[in-house]
Amino acid sequence: MAGDNKRTVAFERKGAARLVRGAACYADDLQLPDTAYASFVRSSAARAKISRLDLTSARRSPGVLAVVAFADIMGDIRPIRGPEGPLANCLIYPLPQSEVHYVGQPLAVAVAESRYQAQDAADAVDIEYDLRPAVLDPEAALEAEAPLVFAELASNVVQEVHISSEGVDKAFSEADHVISERLRTQRIAACPLEPRACAAVFDAASGRYTVWTSTVTIHAVRQQIAEVLGVKENRVRVIAPDVGGSFGGKVHPYPEEILVAYLAKRLHRPVKWVETRIEHLTNVRHGRDQIHYVQAAVRSDGRIMALKSKIIADFGATTRFINSLPAAALYSTGAYDIQCHQVDAFGVLTNKTPQGPVRGIGKADAAYVIERFMDIVARQLNLDPAEIRMKNFVREDAFPYRTATGSMLDSGRYPTCLRKALDLAGYEELRKEQAELRKKGVLRGIGMCLVIEPTSAARRGQGGGYGACRVRMEPSGTVSAFPAYGHQGQGHQTAIARIIADRLSLLSDDVEVFAGDTAESPYGSSAISSRSAVTLMPAVDVAATLLRDKILRIAAHVLEIAPGDLRLETGLVRAVGAPERELGLRQITRIAYIDTYRLPPGLEPGLEVTGYFTAPNIIWEPDERGRRNEFVAVPYEAAVAVVDVDPATGRFSTVRYVAVHDCGTTLVPEIVETQHYGSIAQGLGEALFEELRYDQDGQPLNSTFMDYLLPTVNDIPLIETGHMVTPSPFTPLGAKGGGETGTLGPPAALGNAIEDALAPLRVKIRERPYTSDRLWKAIHQEAS
Amino acid sequence: MAHLAVTVNGQERAADIEPRLLLVHFLRDELKLTGTHIGCVVGRCGACTVLWKKRPVKSCMVLAIQTHQTEIITIEGLSRDERLHPLQEAFLKSDAVECGYCTPGMVMSAYGLLLKKPNASGDDIKRAISGNLCRCTGYVNIVKAISSTLAQGKYPAVRE
Repeated sequence: MAGDNKRTVAFERKGAARLVRGAACYADDLQLPDTAYASFVRSSAARAKISRLDLTSARRSPGVLAVVAFADIMGDIRPIRGPEGPLANCLIYPLPQSEVHYVGQPLAVAVAESRYQAQDAADAVDIEYDLRPAVLDPEAALEAEAPLVFAELASNVVQEVHISSEGVDKAFSEADHVISERLRTQRIAACPLEPRACAAVFDAASGRYTVWTSTVTIHAVRQQIAEVLGVKENRVRVIAPDVGGSFGGKVHPYPEEILVAYLAKRLHRPVKWVETRIEHLTNVRHGRDQIHYVQAAVRSDGRIMALKSKIIADFGATTRFINSLPAAALYSTGAYDIQCHQVDAFGVLTNKTPQGPVRGIGKADAAYVIERFMDIVARQLNLDPAEIRMKNFVREDAFPYRTATGSMLDSGRYPTCLRKALDLAGYEELRKEQAELRKKGVLRGIGMCLVIEPTSAARRGQGGGYGACRVRMEPSGTVSAFPAYGHQGQGHQTAIARIIADRLSLLSDDVEVFAGDTAESPYGSSAISSRSAVTLMPAVDVAATLLRDKILRIAAHVLEIAPGDLRLETGLVRAVGAPERELGLRQITRIAYIDTYRLPPGLEPGLEVTGYFTAPNIIWEPDERGRRNEFVAVPYEAAVAVVDVDPATGRFSTVRYVAVHDCGTTLVPEIVETQHYGSIAQGLGEALFEELRYDQDGQPLNSTFMDYLLPTVNDIPLIETGHMVTPSPFTPLGAKGGGETGTLGPPAALGNAIEDALAPLRVKIRERPYTSDRLWKAIHQEAS
Repeated sequence: MAHLAVTVNGQERAADIEPRLLLVHFLRDELKLTGTHIGCVVGRCGACTVLWKKRPVKSCMVLAIQTHQTEIITIEGLSRDERLHPLQEAFLKSDAVECGYCTPGMVMSAYGLLLKKPNASGDDIKRAISGNLCRCTGYVNIVKAISSTLAQGKYPAVRE
């Protein structure tokens, strides 16, 4: 923060000291006296009727307190309806009535005195399934005669987006070249290191529930628990204690949170549940898994005159609205000026784990597709991949720029950013080097991309678009801050404290942040969609400014000086131009809280305010063509990857990865830098090996960290970064949000680099991740 | 039930436990040492790393009873009162901590390296933490923190 000039010590993130000591309190670390443990029984069938569910022997298992399935809870719970659209016809219960829709779906829950006893009891539940053929291929599931995932619906298509500009067909009929491709993103999981976990107590005397849960969305979880249990939401308090990462996985309510609260009441005891990693990989909402058919009308100089996109997203057995579909559809033209565009997108049910957000949701799919496609077009026209991008980028003087879907690109310098990344990588030299190496038989490839990652989503029926924070100056002059939601490792406390300290002339250490508790946080969204820098921090700024103004009004009244002639300094207010006239902050707080008769007439007591910030550029209502703007700001990143592929093994190694990032004004540069590395690492995992696979019966083929691989330290190449700052005109602090952009680059840049390396063999790479067996097969099929 | 007597962070602890009890659950649930975390229970993520007989092990891969009459050090044993271990200080100074869930395991793996090889190279550092997953940081600052501690060359030996 530019204004925080009081910082003299080396950077240290607020609140991190307790984490390095092992003194944090994640949900499983809670020590509630007399806690009972829950363990879930989960479906081992992808699509089946439950023909027998026998809880008898489970209920006899040692230490068991309860084993419940749908029939045991149906009298106490209420179903909720799915979101607007076809899913509104579904009644959703936390445990299924008679049919299961994916492997891993919770079927029943056992509670016992200890963790191990709970699991023993869950294992003793006897289930028989009447198996039905699983619906697994989203394209086949689109067909009219396809079996239905949810019998109560007319079709497996539960969400659609159609936007078209004028003249698309004409542009295609006049095109020099029409180039088409099918590209697919694989199914992945968020995999925060801390699995989900929750604990609940019910206080019978007050009728109140308290639920501690490892969630990002405290308010939404409270709402849903109240709705399903049929209680008023003010009887449910949801607290997110320390949360060990989310990356989308801990967003929105899950059935386990509702059932743990329910069981705490039923058993008159605290109940705790901790997700295993197998449960995580089969239950945490999955991401990506989209098929894109993309077709371009291209002029011979490489200018793209029109684009058609058809998107089929595999939603799994979702009962929720999935933001990935509109996000992918709205940004399918990427960073390019393609005003002639038609997009048709379909969200399709299958018998797989339900989808949800994963870092980069939807925008990651769109960015991957358009960035791979630019290279495919360039290769076909024999153009340099940098040249075709430069030819098609949105011009730097065209911002704010509205795409053909109505989406607003707030600010950006795309050509400059790519140029900077190419210069940092030494692009000309790299090409020369590549030519030399090719002569020696080394398959070196250079790939690039420029990805955009719009942030702070707001959508009709889904909320978002504003931030909220309450701040209170305590009698001592220190400040307590209550943002609308908590954090999962992003470092919000540091940014919040800096903003408040700056506006109120305090030290960051004088500001304490209390987050993630519905009893004290203002209502609001959550940290999803990189929203915090974009809408929460401006709300913090508003609140701190309101507080400062009130302090100055009180001082003005006492000192009989106009507020405009006063300045807030450390611990006091002083008259500008008359430095001997001052009033201590403690005197002011005393007037605000104790000697309120000294307040200016009409001014209410107290020094506690709530600040709101509403994003000014959301367009909620689609126009007649379906165009709208759902995101506030658009950070972006250019990446250049250099790889060597070994044709004998199919392995590739990343020689260099250069990334130039622009997330607008950076509130805490150190935090942005750290998060940027992690963001890129997650994208590397997606490019290298992360893929959730299913067999023909819908059985997950990888559901532990032995077979679903996350990148280790050895998988991270040398990452060279550069930064640019192009402030967003739509956020008062200029920040665009920096948490997700880096994730989008590696699948595109590495895919392009690998294909470039294999160009002498004319091998095409259209599937990801880029595992050695996939590359080997591609190389050898082509050769044979 | 089996009787377990074990020294944890310099203190003698005893309990009657189920033979199947994992060390990580013994530490967390019986001794309330919740700084040791659980991320996968297949020995892959390293969040549960502790020192057993002065070597880093994944405590989800060890039965508590196997540690009978031996010595364990957990993250809680690394700092002394208010004073952090230099490794912990370095994690803070290098901004190597985001959500913090992998941090104790990461620190314990690094601590194991420090004890074994005070002159460890960059490759040694990578090898030492290659069994510890972090989803937040991309490892860059973690490696930085460990190298800077090694470069300082002063850190207390294992607590006897």
